[in-house]
Amino acid sequence: MAGSALRRLMAEYKQLTLNPPEGIIAGPKNEENFFEWEALIIGPEGTCFEGGVFPAKLTFPPDYPLSPPKMQFTCDMFHPNIYSDGRVCISILHAPGDDPMGYESSAERWSPVQSVEKILLSVVSMLAEPNDESGANVDAAKMWRENREEFSRIAENLVRKTLGIPQLLG
Amino acid sequence: MRFLGISFVSFLLTALVVANAYYQKKQFYPSVVYITKSNPSMAVIYIQAFIGVWIMGKLMRKIFFGQLRSTEFEHLMERSWYAITETCLAFTVFRDDFTPKFVALFTLLLFLKSFHWLAEDRVDYMERSPVISWLFHIRVLSLLLLLGALDMHFIAHAYQSTVTKGASVQLVFGFEYAVLITVVINIGIKYALHSVDLNSETPWDNKAVFLLYTELVMGLIKVILYVAFVAIMVRIYTLPLFAFRPMYYTIRNFKKAFSDVILSRRAIHNMNTLYPDATPEELAAADNVCIICREEMVTASKKLPCNHIFHTSCLRSWFQRQQTCPTCRLNILRTPAPPTNNNIPGAQVPPQNAAQNQFLNMFAAAGRPNPFHLFNQPPAAGVNAAPRQPPNAAGAQPQAPEQPQPAGTAQPGQGPNNHVPPNFMPPFGFPTFPFPMPFMAPPPMPPANLTTLSEEELRNLEGNERQHIEARIQCLRNIQTLLDASVQMMQQYSVAASIATASTNRPPQSEANLANNSTTSPNSANPRPSTSATETTANSQNDMNGAGVSNSEDEAAKVATSSKSSLMVAEERDSGETGVPSTSNGNSTLSPEEVIRRRRLQRFLQQEQEQH
Ligand SMILES: [Zn+2]
Ligand SMILES: [Zn+2]
Repeated sequence: MAGSALRRLMAEYKQLTLNPPEGIIAGPKNEENFFEWEALIIGPEGTCFEGGVFPAKLTFPPDYPLSPPKMQFTCDMFHPNIYSDGRVCISILHAPGDDPMGYESSAERWSPVQSVEKILLSVVSMLAEPNDESGANVDAAKMWRENREEFSRIAENLVRKTLGIPQLLG
Repeated sequence: MRFLGISFVSFLLTALVVANAYYQKKQFYPSVVYITKSNPSMAVIYIQAFIGVWIMGKLMRKIFFGQLRSTEFEHLMERSWYAITETCLAFTVFRDDFTPKFVALFTLLLFLKSFHWLAEDRVDYMERSPVISWLFHIRVLSLLLLLGALDMHFIAHAYQSTVTKGASVQLVFGFEYAVLITVVINIGIKYALHSVDLNSETPWDNKAVFLLYTELVMGLIKVILYVAFVAIMVRIYTLPLFAFRPMYYTIRNFKKAFSDVILSRRAIHNMNTLYPDATPEELAAADNVCIICREEMVTASKKLPCNHIFHTSCLRSWFQRQQTCPTCRLNILRTPAPPTNNNIPGAQVPPQNAAQNQFLNMFAAAGRPNPFHLFNQPPAAGVNAAPRQPPNAAGAQPQAPEQPQPAGTAQPGQGPNNHVPPNFMPPFGFPTFPFPMPFMAPPPMPPANLTTLSEEELRNLEGNERQHIEARIQCLRNIQTLLDASVQMMQQYSVAASIATASTNRPPQSEANLANNSTTSPNSANPRPSTSATETTANSQNDMNGAGVSNSEDEAAKVATSSKSSLMVAEERDSGETGVPSTSNGNSTLSPEEVIRRRRLQRFLQQEQEQH
């Protein structure tokens, strides 16, 4: 019998394949290693990330689901809650007590009740509504607060980049 | 490709050097002497040797590992870097015997070390992949045997050398290979455990525990090795700086393994004593998928105070990290197990009796006179069928009550009837009992809802109430000196009880308790607590127990917390009754926000499809 972490990841993969949530595709990079996933997230409608297809990778710890996975966008991102190297900083990816930002309430922290699907849905909602208290990308947070137009323009270019469309100038 | 180029150039240079020497000297020995005397030639030879080692490494990697995965490669690079710096540090200690042979030995050590690291990563990978081939097993086994044999050989060599020639750099090698052999043994044990797990038909729940103990024992051996090595080095040479970083990590890992074992033991203990096994009915009633592993629960499941059910093994590994309910985040250390007196055999002892037992135990343990000696114990009421506290007014020495206890009350909070765990401490900050406190249990209060009781039950209750009052009047005569203290207690209790009554509103349960009460005799002078007050007591009780706090500082805060947690319990139950059962597909556990979000996404996709 495979280990419990592996069995749970296989179960989640099966679930995501049978019942894919809209706007999200996720699965192991290769089915020999279930602890490295890649995901594609479609920018939510009505936001400045609308229409983009953003690739990300998820790395699961050996003791998943007791500890949360790590998520990192593998494309360029400009967002208050995403570090410049693509790492995603949202509360669902942190266990209670492990608090890089100090603002998150423990209610939405990682616990085994969460799942890949919920993480990805949270990321979609994070794209729609950045949390500008988080300092993962201070420049982006500042721009989001003070110069929404410029932020949208940068986001639009990121969307175009993921789709392979020429960039807007400006 | 680049590597191929470099090795080709190096090979060419070596060939040139050798050919040149042979051309000049015409004979074998003179040519060798010529090469060793010429610095540029030697440089070429060294580079060639290094590249030879490199090729050898690549070959071995191909044989034993095939393609390295990217994480394995990253680990290897990171660790090599540290190992190389440490080797350079070691050179400074042994600069006197710095010879080519010495460098070669260190290179070999590094070379073998890297294979140990790779083997470690590879065996860990067994838990991550659903496809473990025969080739994998053969590779790992042969590699482990080879590494183990080499380590043993070098240890023996180092030992021989140290014994015959005295302390030298061989001491370092002996020690390094000794550490490596512990690594090999550790990997071997892990491999065996993983293999057994892979080949078993059912999940092997205790593997985690075995792994923990392996980690602990191997950690201990390594720590001893390092300490011994540093001690010897300090005596013979100087402080071995190069061993400090690995020693620090070894000690840290050992500490972690140690605390893991302790946490695991505590989790197992809590699991066995605090939480009841989920009954088949409960499993059938709930959606019986364990939220931790997403697998069905058939047996071996535990129910938390918040009524959430999980696999025992899943819960155990979770409790090693956090003492909360994975589903609702209820802090389980601050909440008592739910009283379910009506459905389990062995629950016949009314809480009252159990509670009193605990008091007596406590006084006995404290070596104090039994406070109940002061009271005349009223005769048993006719309706009482439950075992009762035998009157022990005659005994001068306080005795633990001899009342037959069901197994459930013997352990802290074990079983269903765990209102009061044994090492009872009064919830209201009387740490040392300046004098005997008779009013350990709160005064009686009218039952929360009489409407739910049947005619007969009411009548029973009425009869009992009358007896209670009689008993109390009698007691009060005996204990006038203690009245002040009890009044104070009662005030505190009423505060707690009002908080608790406000928050606890559990009809079925109060009914159960009342039913229980109605079959109980008025027991000595011990006034009967109301349902909610009992719970409060139990709550604060478990608070202390769980948190390991013997006596408390801020009782009010605790009462507040515990009543808060009972509030959470109540909420949880409500939601459990009214709907939103969590199902395996996770859809129905979505918050409304997420549902909306999903609809938005769906719309978005539809629009996109229309556009195309
Ligand atoms: Zn489970
Ligand atoms: Zn719960």
